[in-house]
Parts: sequence; C-alpha cells; structure tokens
Amino acid sequence: MALDAVFRDQWGRVLATLIGILGDIELAEDAAAEAFAIAAERWPGDGEPANPAGWLVRTARNRAIDQLRRQQVLAGKTTLLARDLEAGPQPPEALMDDAATIPDERLELIFTCCHPALALEAQVALTLRALGGLSTDEIALAFLVPSETMSKRLTRAKHKIRDAGIPFAVPPDHQLPDRLAAVLAVVYLIFNHGWGGGRVDLAAEAIHLGRALAGLMPDEPEILALLALMLLHDARKTARLRDGQVVPLDDQDRALWDTRQIDEGRALLQRAMTRRRTGPYLLQAAIADLHLYQPRDWRQIAALYETLAQQTGSPIVEMNRAIAVAEIDGPEAGLAILDRLDLDHYRYFHSTRADLLRRAGRRSEAHHAYRRALDLAQTEPEQRFLQNRLDQA
Amino acid sequence: MQYALLAYAPPEETDRAARPIPGTLAALLDRPHVTGWARLHAEESATTLRNDDGRVLLTDGPFIDSKEYLAGLFMIEAGNLDGALAIARELLLQARPGVAIEVRPILDGCFRGA
Repeated sequence: MALDAVFRDQWGRVLATLIGILGDIELAEDAAAEAFAIAAERWPGDGEPANPAGWLVRTARNRAIDQLRRQQVLAGKTTLLARDLEAGPQPPEALMDDAATIPDERLELIFTCCHPALALEAQVALTLRALGGLSTDEIALAFLVPSETMSKRLTRAKHKIRDAGIPFAVPPDHQLPDRLAAVLAVVYLIFNHGWGGGRVDLAAEAIHLGRALAGLMPDEPEILALLALMLLHDARKTARLRDGQVVPLDDQDRALWDTRQIDEGRALLQRAMTRRRTGPYLLQAAIADLHLYQPRDWRQIAALYETLAQQTGSPIVEMNRAIAVAEIDGPEAGLAILDRLDLDHYRYFHSTRADLLRRAGRRSEAHHAYRRALDLAQTEPEQRFLQNRLDQA
Repeated sequence: MQYALLAYAPPEETDRAARPIPGTLAALLDRPHVTGWARLHAEESATTLRNDDGRVLLTDGPFIDSKEYLAGLFMIEAGNLDGALAIARELLLQARPGVAIEVRPILDGCFRGA
C-alpha cells in the first residue's frame, strides 16, 4: 500500500492510541507526525513493516519519550509511560506483530473531538484533523478560511481539552444518546459541506468517518442509518452535475448512479430498521431511499417527513414535506405549507418556493423568488441552474 | 466580614500555566488574612451553562457580561470536565431563572478556610 493510503488508514488509530498513552493531544500529534515522517523516509527502502500501526505507535512513543526526557516534565504521566521512560526507547521492530494488541481508541477520540463544551466549528475541524488525518491547510481550504485562522482554532480547541479536562473516554450509558447525536451531527455537517462546496472531498471524508463509526459501534442503528443516508445521497454525485449545472433528480441520468453504493446503503438501512428504533437519521435514510424509485411514492415520503418534522421540529423538514404534498395535492397545497415557515435566510427555501410558484402559474412571483434564490446561491452550478430557470420564468 | 476579591486581566499571548506567580505577590498570598486564592486557566478554557426553561445549554467560551452581575462563586472538585459540568448543571437548575454559570478550571490555588 502506498504511504499516503497507510497514512489515511492509520492516522486516527495511531493518534488515538498515542493520546491514550501520553494523555495529551498536542504531544501525541507531534509524535505521530514525526513517526509518519520517519516512515516516509525508511519504508520505501526497508520495506513496510508487518504491522504498520504497531511500528508507527512504537516509533512515535519513542520520540515522545525522548522529548519528555529532554524537557524533564515526567510528572503526572501514566505508569505505562513511566516504565518506558526507565527502560528507554525500544526498537519499533520489537513490537507485537498482532494489530489486535494495540487498543483501538478511536471512539474515545471521536467523543473527545465532538464534546459539547467545544464550539461546533472546532468539533468539525478537530474531527477532520484527528480522525480524518486532513492537514490544517486542507481543512482551512475546505471551509474557506485562512490557514492561520484554522490553525488557531485547532490549537485553541486542543488547549481547552487539556486545560479544562475534557475526558478521553466513551461517555457512560446515560449520556451516550446525546453525545452520540453530537458526533453524528458533526459527521453529517462535514458530509453536507462536501455536497454544497465540492472543494476537498468532504463527502468522502464523512463517509470514511461513518464507516469507522459503524465498525466501532455496529449495534447503533442511527450510525448505520447515517452511513446509509450518506451513501444513498453520494451515489448520485456524478449525475447531479451536467455541463457545470445542477440537475434535478427527475432529470438525472440514472445510468450514472453508483449502484454498488446504493446497494450498500440499502443493506445498511435494512440492518438499522431491524433495531426497531426510529431516529432522525433512519427516517432520512428511508426517505433518501424512496426518492430513488420511479415513480416516487410521494404519499409515503410525505408521511415520513411528517414524522421527522414532529421529531425534530425543523422547518427545513417541513419545507421538504411541502414538496411532497405539492406532488400529491398540487403546488398550491405545497405553497400553503411554505407560507407558514420562517426560512427567509435559507437559499433552498426560495428555489423551492420559486419552483412551486412556477408550476402554479404565478409567474411574476416565481420570477421574484428565483431572483432571491440566485442572490443567496453559494456555488456556481447552483447559480447556473437558477439563472436558467429565471431566464425561462 | 469576609470578602471576595475578583481579579480581571487583559488578554495575553503567553501561557499562564508556564508563568510562575511573582515572589512579591506570593508573599502577600501567604499572609493570614488571605483565606484562599485561586489562579484560573485562561478564558479559552471556559464553558458556560445557561438554563433555557429547564434545558441546560452549553456554550464554548466565557460568560459575556451584559446586564447580569457577578453574584457568587463555587469551588468544586471533579474528576474531569464532565464531572464539573454535572455539578454546575445541578446548581444551575436550583438557581433563579436567568442565572448562568461559567465553569473555569483552576490552575493553582490554596484554601485555608475562614
């Protein structure tokens, strides 16, 4: 495997293990970065070790021990490390060959990165850095902020984790539902950012995180459902753009849909549904699945949106229900629902409303709404699509 | 009478934890009429809890002063931030509406009691 791929594959795992040993994210991150750099130097000549993760952890730990010895700040570190400090660095090859002997502490790391005492934007950046292995520059680029700003955001968050004592632990059962919801919200936010923007492939990053979570907590239906939801959406990625313009679902070339990904998403959805708990991601995944059939079952879609709206209280869900209702009872029925919503700031509200007004034959109002949607559109493909509709309106 | 003295500092670039308390200040802190003192971690380590109709909302960062005034302080011991937030939450839910509690880790301190 190329080193890049190993890096991608092992970074989160290696970093999590090191934080478990060293008790400090910054120290662990520096040590991990050094170990990966040494690997980049040696592996092409010496060959990749049998247990890359083990080699990386051991090498990083040796580096950290060296650094701590130099600094002589040994107090308060774990007994495991204290023992290592006495024995001195060990050759990385001496380490266990069995990957299972390295504890997988990525869950602890995810829950630390998505702790509610951190600002949401910091949670997102930390998760991409620590679990996804993205560089600070890549994350900065993805969120269109200067590198220096992103670097400060990450440093501040790491200092808060250290100084405020945010635990490196999986939350106890009574806190787990809330804390897991926070983790899933971060992953889904990363995914949605990937859809709208199209710079660094954040959608792929989010799916990668979703797969890791599904592997770590295979019995959590909401994790399986979120992964299913992301796969079902992402399967239409190629068909969603034509000539640099957004293509509505009904006009998409279905031959371009990734059927392997759709099958995987559906299988995950089935697994999630057998758990008999109806969380928001399960409902959304089920809706995403219904949207892939032709003709679409708008009654069932509308019913699921209604359940979801009751669960979440989200006006955006109500907006989507309005689209389904318009298909069943006509555009005026959909518009009646939209009129009750306070979503003036939301770009898709205006494009949705414009579309229903156009179908209802209310041309000048439609024109006005397309205009407003165009003002709020954030990507060029969206702008081209809306400009096209505006020209026709 | 007992008094609480509240110290306010401008933002700083250096790491507070790495900066020792000046000897002259330490000498004053050792005098018997000082019944306790604590140096707090920088404000970026703060978490603020607010009571929103019985639901406790968390935000990253210090309490931003508006019309509220500083009404009191608690010193607590907890294993980690989750433990501290649980205690803060309990206290907040018993306090009157509109109260907010900022949780700040203590860097170092000394408590001799009154």
